[in-house]
Amino acid sequence: MMQGPDIGKAIFEHTSDSHVVELPFGLGEWHLPTGWRLVGVDVSPTKHVVFMIVAALLVFLTIWYAGRQVARRHREGKAPHGFGAAVEAMVLFVRNDVAIANIGHGGEKFAPYILTLFFFILYCNLLGLLPWGATPTGNLAVTGALALTAFVTIEVSGFRALGPRGYLKTIVFVPPGMSGVGAVAMALIMTPIEIIGKIVKPFALTLRLFANMTAGHFVILALLGLIFIFGSWLVAAGSVAFVTFMMLLELLVAFLQAYIFALLTSVFIGMMQHAH
Amino acid sequence: MPALLLVQEGEFTPFSINTGLIFWTIVVFGVLLALLWRFGWPAILKSVEEREHRIQQQLDEAERARAEAARLLEEHKRTIATAKADAQEIVAKAKALADKERETLLAKARQEYDQLLERARLEIGAEKEKAIVALRREAVDLSIAAASKLLEAQLDSETNRKLVMQYLAQLEAGRAR
Repeated sequence: MMQGPDIGKAIFEHTSDSHVVELPFGLGEWHLPTGWRLVGVDVSPTKHVVFMIVAALLVFLTIWYAGRQVARRHREGKAPHGFGAAVEAMVLFVRNDVAIANIGHGGEKFAPYILTLFFFILYCNLLGLLPWGATPTGNLAVTGALALTAFVTIEVSGFRALGPRGYLKTIVFVPPGMSGVGAVAMALIMTPIEIIGKIVKPFALTLRLFANMTAGHFVILALLGLIFIFGSWLVAAGSVAFVTFMMLLELLVAFLQAYIFALLTSVFIGMMQHAH
Repeated sequence: MPALLLVQEGEFTPFSINTGLIFWTIVVFGVLLALLWRFGWPAILKSVEEREHRIQQQLDEAERARAEAARLLEEHKRTIATAKADAQEIVAKAKALADKERETLLAKARQEYDQLLERARLEIGAEKEKAIVALRREAVDLSIAAASKLLEAQLDSETNRKLVMQYLAQLEAGRAR
């Protein structure tokens, strides 16, 4: 039996972060500086940092250009058209049907945050589908940090909407109509559950986005790895067909996961805003 | 497990959590959020809201124009119906007037005809009387002429007198018939 290459190692190397960025078209490698430290933490830039910055730049250019186009067409008294209309449709969908629909009254205040979240995650997801690309959202640190912003937004907005007393009720829960020993017992039982509930939400956001992005890449890379393990043209044909299908599925998942992250964040903000 | 999660310098796996990356993510996302909040979303959302406002305004205007048009149509329909009724009334009135006029004209004509007939009859009667008188005078003249002839022949004949009387009677009878 032929000794195949270590496909597992290749997959891990491809999907994990690194201090080296592969430049496209064989232009070589870009070795990022190491040893940057901030209050004892290693903050050296990595491949995923580079791609996050690229994604952020692309998002900003997209929205800025579309905004200019839409505003110009609006000044000329014409209907939106082309690129601006396409971006506008997505922006309006996320704003009206994701943010405002789930947060409820006062959702407009959170719309810029939800919109930025959606487009940033979407572009990060899509960058991983490009050749020589990497998926920052396939990294637990990135999804965790994004979920952390969601957690802070949920809790701070809840505190501001409910006031100190109302916010405390979302942690120390006493069912209405109970008093005395029963209330204390319920509070003792329910408080840990409420705290766990608060932490589980961002944790689920973190894992869902990370797992979805990483799993798709694992499947694609494993299918492509089959070609090198078997070394057969027949397997190559089958693998390429499956990988094409998986790539289209990944395209869907890229949009879907950005949508779900934005949707769930909106739902959690809405739940806190209207908690009683 | 720790081997999978903790990162030694320069060593990465897909499941490792790099604290530095958390910092970078928050920085990049925060900067993007701030930039878009200031330069990105307002441009799109302001235009969209203004457009929505304008479209709503136009819709309201169209609704107003539609109501106005319906009102005008109703008014026109009413006007046309009134005009139709008026026209019918006028035609009926004219017809009635014409009928009445014809009746009076006919009556007048009949009356004139009757008068004419009456006068003709009267005139005919008068003429007849005149003719009878004339005829009578002629008959008397003829009788006198005949009598003169007879007187020339036999002046005192009783028979002749009888004859004359008979003749006169005959004439009388002829006139009566």
